Amino acid sequence: MGRLSGFRVTITQVFRPRVTEKFPQEKRPKPPRFHGRHVLNRYEDGMEKCIGCELCAGVCPAQCIYVRGADNLTDAPVSPGERYGFVYEINYLRCIHCDLCVEACPTEAITETKLFEFSFARRQDAIYTKDELLVDDEGRARRQPWELWLGGEDDETSAWMRATSSSGNAAYENRVAWSGELGFGVREPERGQGGDPGALPAPDQGGVS
Amino acid sequence: MTTNAVPMSQWPSEHRYTIPVAPGPETVTVTIDGRAAQIPRGELLIKAAQDHGTYIPRFCWHERLKPVGMCRMCLVEIEGMRGLQISCATPVADGMVVHTTSDAVTTAQDGILEFLLINHPLDCPVCDRGGECPLQDQTLAFGPGESRFVEEKRHFEKPVPISDLVMLDRERCIQCGRCTRFADEVAGDPLIDFGGRGGSTEVITYLDEPFHSSFSGNTVQICPVGALTARPYRFRARPWDLASTETSCGACAVACRGSLESTSNRLVRLLGVDSEPVNQGWLCDKGRYGLDWVHSDARLRQPMVRRAGELVESSWPDALDAAAAAIRNTLDTHGPNGIAVLGGSRGVNEDAYLWARLAKGVLGTDHVDAQLGDGLPADVVLGMPRATIPDLDRAKAIVLLAPDLKEELPVLYLRVRRAAHDLGVPLVDVAVRDHGLTPYATAVLRHAPGDPGAAAGVVADALVGRPGRTKVGKAIVDATDGRDGPVVVILGRTSVAEHPDAIVHAASRLTGLPQVRFLSALANPNVHGALDLGLTPGFLPGRVSLDAGRDHFTKAWGAVPDAVGRDAAGILRAAATGEIAALVLVGCDPLAECPDRNLARAALEQADTVIAVSAFMDTAAFGATVVLPPTVWGEQSATTTNLEGRVVRLGRRVTPDGSTLESWRIPAELAARLGSDFDLETVDEVQDEIARVAPAFAGVDASLLRRARDGVVLPLADHADEVTFGRAGAGPGPSWEPILPVPEVVGDDDRSPSTSASDSPSAAVPAPTPPVPLHRWDAPPDAPSVPPLDAYALRLVAGHALYGADAIVAATPALASLTHEPTLGLNARDRDRLGVHDGDRVRITTARGSVDLAVRTDAQTPPGTAWIVANAAGPGAPDLIDLTSPVTELRVETIS
Ligand code: SF4
Ligand code: SF4
Ligand code: SF4
Ligand code: SF4
Ligand code: FES
Repeated sequence: MGRLSGFRVTITQVFRPRVTEKFPQEKRPKPPRFHGRHVLNRYEDGMEKCIGCELCAGVCPAQCIYVRGADNLTDAPVSPGERYGFVYEINYLRCIHCDLCVEACPTEAITETKLFEFSFARRQDAIYTKDELLVDDEGRARRQPWELWLGGEDDETSAWMRATSSSGNAAYENRVAWSGELGFGVREPERGQGGDPGALPAPDQGGVS
Repeated sequence: MTTNAVPMSQWPSEHRYTIPVAPGPETVTVTIDGRAAQIPRGELLIKAAQDHGTYIPRFCWHERLKPVGMCRMCLVEIEGMRGLQISCATPVADGMVVHTTSDAVTTAQDGILEFLLINHPLDCPVCDRGGECPLQDQTLAFGPGESRFVEEKRHFEKPVPISDLVMLDRERCIQCGRCTRFADEVAGDPLIDFGGRGGSTEVITYLDEPFHSSFSGNTVQICPVGALTARPYRFRARPWDLASTETSCGACAVACRGSLESTSNRLVRLLGVDSEPVNQGWLCDKGRYGLDWVHSDARLRQPMVRRAGELVESSWPDALDAAAAAIRNTLDTHGPNGIAVLGGSRGVNEDAYLWARLAKGVLGTDHVDAQLGDGLPADVVLGMPRATIPDLDRAKAIVLLAPDLKEELPVLYLRVRRAAHDLGVPLVDVAVRDHGLTPYATAVLRHAPGDPGAAAGVVADALVGRPGRTKVGKAIVDATDGRDGPVVVILGRTSVAEHPDAIVHAASRLTGLPQVRFLSALANPNVHGALDLGLTPGFLPGRVSLDAGRDHFTKAWGAVPDAVGRDAAGILRAAATGEIAALVLVGCDPLAECPDRNLARAALEQADTVIAVSAFMDTAAFGATVVLPPTVWGEQSATTTNLEGRVVRLGRRVTPDGSTLESWRIPAELAARLGSDFDLETVDEVQDEIARVAPAFAGVDASLLRRARDGVVLPLADHADEVTFGRAGAGPGPSWEPILPVPEVVGDDDRSPSTSASDSPSAAVPAPTPPVPLHRWDAPPDAPSVPPLDAYALRLVAGHALYGADAIVAATPALASLTHEPTLGLNARDRDRLGVHDGDRVRITTARGSVDLAVRTDAQTPPGTAWIVANAAGPGAPDLIDLTSPVTELRVETIS
């Protein structure tokens, strides 16, 4: 067998399950907290969640978000309240998908899908404006020609979660409840890492207080 | 431990809610958190602690307002006193031992904040104050971190407009009373107050009367929460987007200090900086919100040259060549006397100086005037003994020979009002009609338009203790008896419908008073800089007359004009007759600014060549041969001179769009094309040349201007001890507290201004004596002859409104909506005599022209006179006035 011993590794690998996939025809499921391309969510009544507060822009370490607010018109409001995001842009040439913007957002307006398969042939395409970021009337991400969506990446996009621990306390677990979202309604609260479902509020008591 | 401090509740009632004792020279020893400090007796504890490095949280107390003790946030423990005391209303006393961080104090602070947050909405993400909010910051620093309040908060309709510029969100209001106290105490417009009680207390305006105050923006700046928001700024940026530069306001001659803030290369906010001698933190609404004009689409971004009868965009070299060629052409055909330069009073010092140097040193013409017949003779302004604004506070009396300061120089109005109302300085009001300061006057003298001489005579006599037989004379004598200090005369054009000789003559009757000083009330932003730097006939830069400065300037420049030239009226007349063929208009539009529009029109129509240096396509630029657009306020760093003669720096915050040229480079480039290279590369070099060449500016070089916190008053030799360096207190503060002026760090050597030894606040400034004696105003003119009153005619009084038709207002949407149509203001008696009603249109005819205006009953206008705003858009006062006649008589006919 001396001649075959050199093929030991090869032969063992032949009988192991295959790890490669027919990407891009097939994709592996991604973890639920995957940080991908963002969406701007809307409430169930279609109003935009973003209030143009610029907290995401303020916190972004890559300084890739540009937001400007404006007064809501009383007869045709874009968002509940006085102010809405009039300009919203993310430059994906700079975004590091850290999710600090998602954490900073007081209204769950900006969240991430699980899509990372997007590349650009033109720089302008990398700057996503409200036209690209805002979800469509079904509450789904608007798919751009250069993005490879296979399904699933835009499910449950409003999976808001902390990227950092509260007050530096890593053991801290809060219970997150959700506001209703266009296309998805009110989501089940996410379990804390400790996973005590009994301690969680029922979805219909939702709403961040 | 005993102290002699008395809590406010036990002060005598007349002292309650006023600062009890003015801090004196004596000091007392107070121990704050274990550190002993020497503090002037009578200082409020909160201020004393702040000055010595202990910040006591507060909401209602503001350094420039009287304490009220409304919010209880500033509680401290004072040994020997029962309970906690509010430090904002407790004057220090000798031996006081104060604790600001003891358990009792922190518990109280927690409690106060929890109470405040019971009804305060958690609106921070949509609130304009979010990120720079005292309530946010102090809750984080001193608060409990959690609320036990789970009930419903109070609700009001979200922002309601309380004026055209200010919105009020009553849910956010914490009832500190800063806004109401400002409006009442400082602005003298008590148009907002508290209504309701308990939980439903709210700031209200009176019965359908909006908060129409020219100072309303200050309430937005000092509100410690986001309850008051400014419409022009609302939601345009968040605090972390802003970059700021300290500058001076460029909208009038007060030159208030401000912090100019921009985001994405757009100016969005001007906040008042607390410059003790000038604006003490306040701004008027025109200055504060007059920003959008800088970015207006109407701005010219390219030079234009007239080719085949049409103005076409061109490049700078071509446009400058065309302008230089036109000037050279005129020099060839008409000589230097064929060219005149008008304007410059809205620019900066550097361009004023270089235009003067170009006109007088290169072209050789003395037909130069920065004022368009709407000002005072330069002889008077440059030669009168000058007062500073702080002189008002210590004056024996203030005499007003000026237009309505509330409309023309708003923050000067605040300072005069403070002197008269809060500091008890007698105010003598000599005017034709009532105005903003009349309610505060000790003595009111009214005279017929064009004839203030007699009234001034009464004042002059009374101020030396001769009451005469009049009541006002006695009132003045009584009020000034036993007071000493300078007599400050505020001198301006009471009406542009009368010849300036009248007011100059009146002023000359006051020159004999002991310690008399004059404060000029000319309103154009840099009119004083333009006059000081020689943009006026008969003078050279630095307040010296043509004759006195001839040798000095011949050495510096090579040449100066031979004879005194014409003033604006003379220039326009000569242009109308063709004697002057080329007019250079430096940032001015004679058709809008000259009180005699017919004359201006004739001049512009006749002139062969008009070179307009203008940021906008105004009516004069329409007919121009070449239009050169300069860079404007906020886009270039420069200096300006305010009405005291204080030279202050203007900061650059944004980069201009398009292709404009820094304003001072335009005359320099033209000079180079006409064969004189000024050899100036930077604005600092221009400032240094001014300091070297212009006698009144001796010593005022770029480096001194950078370091001087509140600017430098000219001439430096007389005011060197007033120059302050270094930072006061802790440096730039947050916007809701008085923001202190900060000098710039000098050039490349990175010295911090506060640590440099030579710049310690007491360092002596070298003050060279001017090389040429400065001009003095003597030779009081003879009384001008005024025609007797005509019982059938009305005499016109014309003054400027704050929101007039200038570029700042017209090209700023927030302000443009505040302008009014011009009307004819009549006393009710004259209205009835003429048989007209409010709103009727009438035809007004004078010797000069006629216009149709609507009638408005105006109680401020006395019988026999008529009031028309001189700077409104459209036909109006300028069509009626003849620059040469002593007064303007008008007749009114009804039209159907
Ligand atoms: S994910 Fe991070 S880098 Fe990307 S936009 Fe958000 S904050 Fe900025
Ligand atoms: S996405 Fe969220 S954080 Fe960003 S501006 Fe909108 S509301 Fe504010
Ligand atoms: S509006 Fe602002 S300044 Fe006025 S009382 Fe309320 S909190 Fe104070
Ligand atoms: S008073 Fe004059 S300088 Fe001051 S803010 Fe108003 S316009 Fe500007
Ligand atoms: S700051 Fe003293 S009571 Fe408000």
